Amino acid sequence: MTVLDDYTAALAQPRLGDAPARYDELVAPDGTLRAAWRPLAEAAFRLTAGDLARVDEEIQRTLADDGVTYALPGRRPEPWRLDPVPLVVEADEWSILEVGLAQRAELLNAVLVDLYGPRTLLRSGVLPAPLVLGHPGYARVVARASTTDPRPLLLSATDLGRTAAGEWRVLADRAQAPSGMGYAMENRRVVSRVLPELYRQATLHRMAPFFHALRTSLLQAAPGDPADPRVVVLSPGPHSETAYDQAFLASTLGFPLVQGSDLTVRDGAVWMRVFEHLEPVHVVLRRVDAAFSDPLELRGDSRLGVAGLSEAVRRGTVRVVNGLGSGVLENPGLLPYLPAVAQHLLGEDLRLDAVPTWWCGEETQRRAVLDRLDELEVRRTDGTRVTGDRDTLRARILAEPHAHVGQQPIALSQVPTFGREPAAYGPPTGRIAPGPMSLRTFSLWYGSSYRPLVGGLATVREHGDGRRTSPWVSKDVWVLKKDAAEPDQHLAHQLQLSYAVPGAASVPRVLDDLYWFGRYRERAEDLLRLVLTAHALAEDYRARPWSSGGASLAVAWTAIHRLCPLPGTAPYAACFADLDGPEAAREEAFGAPLDAEFHAVLLDPARDGSVAQSLAGLRACAEGVRDQLSADTWRGFAALDRAAATLRLSPHSHRVEEASGRMLDGVLALTGVTANMVRDPGWHMAGAGRTLERAQQVARLLAAATVERRGLDTDRRVLNVVLGATESVVTHRRRHRGYVKVDSVLELLLLDRDNPRSVAFCLDELRGHLAAMPASTGATRPERLLEELVERVSTVDVRALVAIGGAHRPYLRGFLAQLVADVTQLADAVAALHVAAGPGPRSFGQLVPRPSRAVGRAVGEGAP
Amino acid sequence: MRYRVWHRTTYTYDDDVTDSLGIAYLTPRELPFQHVRERALRVTPATEVRDDVDVHGNTASYFQVVTRHRELVVHAESVVDVVAPAHDAAALAQPWEDARPADRSDSPDGWEAWDVALPSPLVDQGPEVQAYVAASLTPGRPVGEAVTELVGRVHADFAYEQGATTVRTTVADVMTERAGVCQDFAHLVIAGLRANGLAARYVSGYLATTPPPGQERLVGADASHAWVAVWVPGPPDGEGGRGPGAWLAVDPTNDTWVDDRYVTVAWGRDYADVTPLKGVIFTEASTSRLDVAVDVAPADAD
Repeated sequence: MTVLDDYTAALAQPRLGDAPARYDELVAPDGTLRAAWRPLAEAAFRLTAGDLARVDEEIQRTLADDGVTYALPGRRPEPWRLDPVPLVVEADEWSILEVGLAQRAELLNAVLVDLYGPRTLLRSGVLPAPLVLGHPGYARVVARASTTDPRPLLLSATDLGRTAAGEWRVLADRAQAPSGMGYAMENRRVVSRVLPELYRQATLHRMAPFFHALRTSLLQAAPGDPADPRVVVLSPGPHSETAYDQAFLASTLGFPLVQGSDLTVRDGAVWMRVFEHLEPVHVVLRRVDAAFSDPLELRGDSRLGVAGLSEAVRRGTVRVVNGLGSGVLENPGLLPYLPAVAQHLLGEDLRLDAVPTWWCGEETQRRAVLDRLDELEVRRTDGTRVTGDRDTLRARILAEPHAHVGQQPIALSQVPTFGREPAAYGPPTGRIAPGPMSLRTFSLWYGSSYRPLVGGLATVREHGDGRRTSPWVSKDVWVLKKDAAEPDQHLAHQLQLSYAVPGAASVPRVLDDLYWFGRYRERAEDLLRLVLTAHALAEDYRARPWSSGGASLAVAWTAIHRLCPLPGTAPYAACFADLDGPEAAREEAFGAPLDAEFHAVLLDPARDGSVAQSLAGLRACAEGVRDQLSADTWRGFAALDRAAATLRLSPHSHRVEEASGRMLDGVLALTGVTANMVRDPGWHMAGAGRTLERAQQVARLLAAATVERRGLDTDRRVLNVVLGATESVVTHRRRHRGYVKVDSVLELLLLDRDNPRSVAFCLDELRGHLAAMPASTGATRPERLLEELVERVSTVDVRALVAIGGAHRPYLRGFLAQLVADVTQLADAVAALHVAAGPGPRSFGQLVPRPSRAVGRAVGEGAP
Repeated sequence: MRYRVWHRTTYTYDDDVTDSLGIAYLTPRELPFQHVRERALRVTPATEVRDDVDVHGNTASYFQVVTRHRELVVHAESVVDVVAPAHDAAALAQPWEDARPADRSDSPDGWEAWDVALPSPLVDQGPEVQAYVAASLTPGRPVGEAVTELVGRVHADFAYEQGATTVRTTVADVMTERAGVCQDFAHLVIAGLRANGLAARYVSGYLATTPPPGQERLVGADASHAWVAVWVPGPPDGEGGRGPGAWLAVDPTNDTWVDDRYVTVAWGRDYADVTPLKGVIFTEASTSRLDVAVDVAPADAD
């Protein structure tokens, strides 16, 4: 039997215990297939559990390769979850829903226009004043006669659920900054790829034309009909829950993804910082909650907004989508009043019913809630769930009646859902079982009406009550066409959406992220190479710490610990404290602590300078400029994650080599990403970061390895470690046949202008990158510092440098220390001139030290 | 009475400020009992000041300074004629219970009064303040009398103490400390009245202080002041409806009704709605100094 046969058979069994009766999206109560599934039956019922397991694995891999993540509030981002079985909706059923959704968007827009304009709903008592005025989404800053926005709701979202009787009900409206369209599009992309037979058999509405319509609507939303309207997507940053969704939308629409600090207000209008000048912004697609959008007039502690944005909105110089006041629509207390509101504003009957809801600010409704606290869900009007026993709930409601609602939970319809480990949600692994489902829909103002997206984003949650912390998995939504000739999205004259090219990297924050992208990537690569070299030595000499090979291993560790200091609190710290010290201590270090330390240097994100830390920084930078980077970036990160996961699972020493090798592959893949970037200032900043970091690392390594003399044999082995870690063994052999000597190594790694690993080469490259920056004049501070440094390096006499003084090379030591300091100074100067975004906003009279942008990044900037 | 009001705020920074945006509520309102004859608002470094009417009908002035500066001066000056507001004795004689917006859907402005009958960001309503205010709200007591007695109690029970509180002080803090400044007393009275179902708004303005006999008035000795206005619905018109309501303004700091010594600038739900001057700066500076000078001088009426 195939999985769907299993599923159908199981449904025919009597339900267990008091499980609620649910509408099944696949099978009717008489055991026949729902109309929507009939066209798919042939392909769908052929799928075996093995097929689905394979498909599911492919889905997870594809999502990881695309870097699709989602974060619950206050948690770390986790991989996006997508179930292989889509929700299928039939054409006739959808068209009824479509009419209802379009009316709802029209109505909600009219509510906004009224509440921030004439307020007839409040004057006439159709809406109780405390229901609206007491809601945190009611934005008084735009409730002014001076402010008119006829279309504050451009894009709305409505969450739907289906009752046991098969009727769709509104669960909630999302108007503030609806999320999920990017995820919906990604779901489609993935499912169509992994289930090609099923996908081909369904004649379903493709989504791309809707995104094109969105692009058009946003461009048309520009006030004053400018010739060349500029739209930006305002994101709270890469730490936002739906950062992926925002970046996807921005790059699909071809609008820059910006953060509050990238924008500024001048003359009552919004501008984007582009190098040294400002360019006008006409439309802001806002993914920052209204309360955080303007530190001047809204939350003063917000660093996500644009100071003066409300004023610009009031002056009508910029259109914010959706309007700053639209959060007032997310109030569940509005639901019981919407039928009357529809009559009042549209003169129509409301087509889509919502789940039964009672607002506690009104006495009769409050009584209805208090009488049925056991069966209702209690929420605040801001949407958050209130839980507790009857007495707690009663007390909470009575303390602030106007801020609470009671809602009748419905037994959501169920859809076949695939069980997956270790996903938190699901039926037993490898089986398909029913899961309760809700559907997010989107409606867009396009042309002269609201057009619902033909499709959506379905979510199955373990608990049907919509608690956000409940384990979940998403589903693609297939809306079938009535006939294959029907245009996608019912939009006949849409051009196919090609991936629009985003503007060049230009705002200081983006340049800063790319600069650090270059630095972190290089830092990770250099440490990985050193670890690989050290590990090869360890395999040979860990049992013989007293040999010259063992001594060179100790030197390699000293070098590693310069880049990634050993915390005194590490349990095995004493073993490494003095590797040159007594044989006994060395022997101990070369036992188990050695492997623990390899693991820590590679995997411990809390360890300063560790590979894990550099990679975390690298990823944060990449996420901040997602719209600038090729999709391959995320494949590189996915490979890195897999390598790290393998290593974490196995303590065996041979895994270290394999895993760090694979991590190095991942890092090199990321080099490929930048190699193929357009040669714009962003690329040059990534290059500047890379060359500066490399010069720094080479100087550090040489300082750790070459200034001390440890005996001829050990010294030669140490020099080989240096060459190995700098990928220069072959080059050295080609240039200097015969012995590896300190002066030949220095020649190669300091002065050789043709060796990409040498300091001189890095400085030459840096010169090219700096010259290409718009702020460069030939005489800026970084350029002057660079020329001085080039002069110093190119005129150094290696033979004099390596002169011996006792067990040291004092001149070399001094030279390298100075080199590290000079490169650090140069790096600071580059950052200050080219990528500094300037101070953030602060309230009058509240001057506090500004948090440093360099936190977590200054690792290894200390003295060598 | 005619007053010349003069209010200067100076911020001094230890480093350059490159961008400064501000919102000022410094222009007195035009009211039945108050006429604004002259008004001016100047910002130094010089920049355009744009006035707008906010949701409560106040004048909100927006400005932005983008020239580098280490000193920002906002100077407001106005000449205002004030008379004592007239009150309808019949309205004030209504039982306080009848002044609750929840029961006044028959009042044409009842819905607007709701805006100041709900909790607001700076007005927390604990059980302590509710009980404290409830002591003045005996059943059936005329609303005018109840409110008058309440401000008398606050005046007697709480010490006026500058520096006892900050802008972040909560009503609960004031109830515990039994001390505060005008803003704290206003918030406290508002919290207690709202907790008992009444509508009360925060009023920001100036009070002309009379100098002690024989002494010259000191320029800058005065400060901005704050008080409370309570919504009183229009009494029943005998035809099943009511006329528009009125607001009884009282000053708990001085235990008095607001009269011709008071210049009304702006009102809102609480201090945050009508902060005389707030703003955002972009700077590397680490410290700033604030100097405020206010003068409310009687002017010759012509």
